[in-house]
Amino acid sequence: MTASHDPQLLKGVLSLLLLHLLAERESYGYEVVQRLQEAGFTDVLEGSVYPALTRLERDGRVTTRLVPSPSGPARKYYRLTPAGWQALRAGSATWTRHTATVNAVLARPLPAAPDEEN
Amino acid sequence: MPHAIGWWDRLRIERLVWLLDQQLYDLPRQSRLATRREVRANLLEAAGDVGATEALRRVGGSRQLAHRYLVAELGEGPRHSLIAAAYVGGLTPLALNFLFDATAAAYHRGVVAADPHATGTFTWQGISHLQDPTTFSFVDGQASQLGGAWTPLTYLLWIVGTIAAGRLWRLARSRAGRRDAVAHAG
Repeated sequence: MTASHDPQLLKGVLSLLLLHLLAERESYGYEVVQRLQEAGFTDVLEGSVYPALTRLERDGRVTTRLVPSPSGPARKYYRLTPAGWQALRAGSATWTRHTATVNAVLARPLPAAPDEEN
Repeated sequence: MPHAIGWWDRLRIERLVWLLDQQLYDLPRQSRLATRREVRANLLEAAGDVGATEALRRVGGSRQLAHRYLVAELGEGPRHSLIAAAYVGGLTPLALNFLFDATAAAYHRGVVAADPHATGTFTWQGISHLQDPTTFSFVDGQASQLGGAWTPLTYLLWIVGTIAAGRLWRLARSRAGRRDAVAHAG
């Protein structure tokens, strides 16, 4: 999946994606960006991800620790708190419900488009 | 392919970090330092991966990044401004003292102009409501002065002005919101 994503849609689910990635394993900011890009979100920029991680930390959904890096300054690793796990479960359920509803509407048959009638 | 990070690249990264830092003065000091450290570490790592130019492009401009951090830390909507409060809180006493000194000096010069060898006690009432009277004791044109302190109203105006300029009531609200968010998450 390398096509660009709607920034507004992405903004809405970025927190959920971050929670899921951090639930898989704790990571530092740049690593999270790389993992998002590997997952296909190639147009996600660091400038959006780092503040989003800060917001999760402020909301008590992730906790952080500094780990010395062999290649430079210490890295700030993020991992989920129990509240983060709870938010992930709730967010995943909401997303699943949301996409199911949207898919149900999009799956309905359509009448012929006007240009096809002519 | 790994990129070597030269001193020029480090300077460019430091410039962005510094510019970002200058725009985060409304955050608590600890949070600002942590942000600075994290952005620098991530940028250095990204620069090693994709080059400093691309790393800086991907992080966006310092203004946009600072705005996002401020929204992340303090929430959407109107915010307080510690910088504005600091400016008004710091500059108001300087400006007022300059004004009071200038008016007292003008009074002093007036007395000396009227009588270069003035002797006696003269009282300058000062700017009404804002300062106490200043008493000049002249001996052959040489004066010593006493008084001219701020009135309680001046202190009150200073404090109210500082709070108003920094919209500091929003600080209490944002802290309460932050506590609520953590309590809600917990």
